[in-house]
Amino acid sequence: MATHAAAPRQRWRRYGTSYLMLLPFLGLFAGFLVWPLANSLYLSFTKFDGVNAPRFEGLENFRRLLFDDDRFRHALGNTFIYVVASVGIGTLLSLGLALAFNGSSWPHRIMRTIFFLPSVTSSIALMLLWKWIFNPGDFGLANTVIAWFGGRAVEWLATPGLTVPILVLMSVWGGMGYGMVLYVAGLNTIPQEYYEAARIDGAGTWQRFRRVTLPLLRPVTTYVVVTGLIGAFQVFEAVYIVFRGTNNIGGVLDSGLMIVPYLYDQGFTHFKLGYASAVAWVLFLIIFALSMVNLRIGRALKEL
Amino acid sequence: MAVAPTTTPIVAGPAAAPRRAPTAGKGTTWRGHLLRLPFYLLSLTMIAPFYWMLITVFKPVTEIDEQPPSFVPEHPTLNNFYDPGYSSTQVNPGHLQGIFQRFQVDFGFGRFMFNSLVITVVITIGSLLIASLAAYVITKHRVPGRRLIFLLIVASMMVPWQTTLVPNYVIMRNLGWLDTYQGYIIPALAKAFVLFFLVQFLHSIPDELIQAARVDGAGEWRIWWQVVLPLLRPALAAMSIFIVLAEWNNFLWPLIIVQSDEMANIPVALARLNSYFTGAQNQGAIMAGGLLASLPSIAFFLAFQRYFTRGIVLSGLKG
Repeated sequence: MATHAAAPRQRWRRYGTSYLMLLPFLGLFAGFLVWPLANSLYLSFTKFDGVNAPRFEGLENFRRLLFDDDRFRHALGNTFIYVVASVGIGTLLSLGLALAFNGSSWPHRIMRTIFFLPSVTSSIALMLLWKWIFNPGDFGLANTVIAWFGGRAVEWLATPGLTVPILVLMSVWGGMGYGMVLYVAGLNTIPQEYYEAARIDGAGTWQRFRRVTLPLLRPVTTYVVVTGLIGAFQVFEAVYIVFRGTNNIGGVLDSGLMIVPYLYDQGFTHFKLGYASAVAWVLFLIIFALSMVNLRIGRALKEL
Repeated sequence: MAVAPTTTPIVAGPAAAPRRAPTAGKGTTWRGHLLRLPFYLLSLTMIAPFYWMLITVFKPVTEIDEQPPSFVPEHPTLNNFYDPGYSSTQVNPGHLQGIFQRFQVDFGFGRFMFNSLVITVVITIGSLLIASLAAYVITKHRVPGRRLIFLLIVASMMVPWQTTLVPNYVIMRNLGWLDTYQGYIIPALAKAFVLFFLVQFLHSIPDELIQAARVDGAGEWRIWWQVVLPLLRPALAAMSIFIVLAEWNNFLWPLIIVQSDEMANIPVALARLNSYFTGAQNQGAIMAGGLLASLPSIAFFLAFQRYFTRGIVLSGLKG
């Protein structure tokens, strides 16, 4: 915009319009994000049942969370295992798929669409589908496949040791197509000449992958991993739909308890809203730290 | 799983057209196919669950828990959507409520599809309008404080939205917005990632275009409506796909604010179905509901796939 000398009144009028145009977004942003965020920080220092006024308790909620609450510690540990396994396996498969199917021919496009399908399917529908697949009856799909290989029917969803592996399986199955698409886009930004140059220098397939593809895909990998971690930490629906029991939101022995389900359980089943806010802030700190890592790596890469 | 972008949105789709020479794919050698074999097998595990869902939908109640299960419905039927043989007063063996008979609300499951549709459409249009207004000001007006505002909004993308769940619930309750459309819509309108994306896109549009309109005497609102919005169209298209998929499948927030059956969206209705009806024989109707939830979003994606593709070029992996 030109900075020619406008009369002060005119300039004020122009800014007035500008602020007016900013207002809808900023108003809603302040009302439903900034204020609630500050409010949830305050509530995390209080005892609050949603009916009576919040009572300030200082760090009591956090002390209990970190030192007294076995369920929360369990949820935290569970979430970490789930996150590392699902993102680790998911990223490797995404990369593999992208390397296998990055062409523009129709077989490649069809394969990409097949793997991407879960990303655009209703997640609740998928969770209901998984629950049906892992039905303990002989007629369940999982048990039918087991029977083909001579195995006996398994109580998939009632075996504590299987809960986290099943959650990881569902996450990888549903998420690898998304990572694949990002990797495909990344692969397509690598100039073909680099590979030709490497070939002339006598680099084999593996060498070209190690020395050309992988380093140039590093920003994509960072993005896939960090957004994957952030998404995985927020897992909720899989636990809520597939595993939730009548008493335990995390399923048998709370074996599938994770951070957000625990937040929901404390806040909206037991109406300990102050305590739930403290859980929310622990989640906030984890995700904020991850995002900072993302930011820092991104900036470092840009400066290279 | 519909993926809601958590930080920088990168819009992409399986059709992302490679700019590379088409070496792979066309004329893949037998060795190439052999190397890809594990992935071909993996693709079967992608299709199998969907196929299982599809055949369950068309199996009559009596066939659903057959052992061993049929892999092609022996007596295909639409009863899982609406079963004319079902009566609420009289037991009729082999007949259960279809998905449209499961809820005591007008139009049954159609009501939830309507709710989801209204919510999705209003949020998509509304959030794009207000974000484009703000993005226009931030990029093209020299308003004092715009950098700070933008920084604040970008920083907010690092906040997991669940952190605001409890206070927003209290706000909704105090406003009397629990169980209402505005409870769904209003808190969902200001989307930081949309603003961020539009700002990035507008930076690449030369100021001269807007300057020219200004010289012609157009007011700011008219410039926004007649110049900025048309210029933003590809970015808006890319973003709308994200928003539509995210809102159509939104679950946790609706789960908290919805009380009656009438106001449920499809995911909440399905979750209730899941807790009301547990027996295997109900799976036909539940899967029918899942199909009704999924088909629109899959169809929407397939129809607008190319905008996903364009989105990735717009935002760029450089982020």
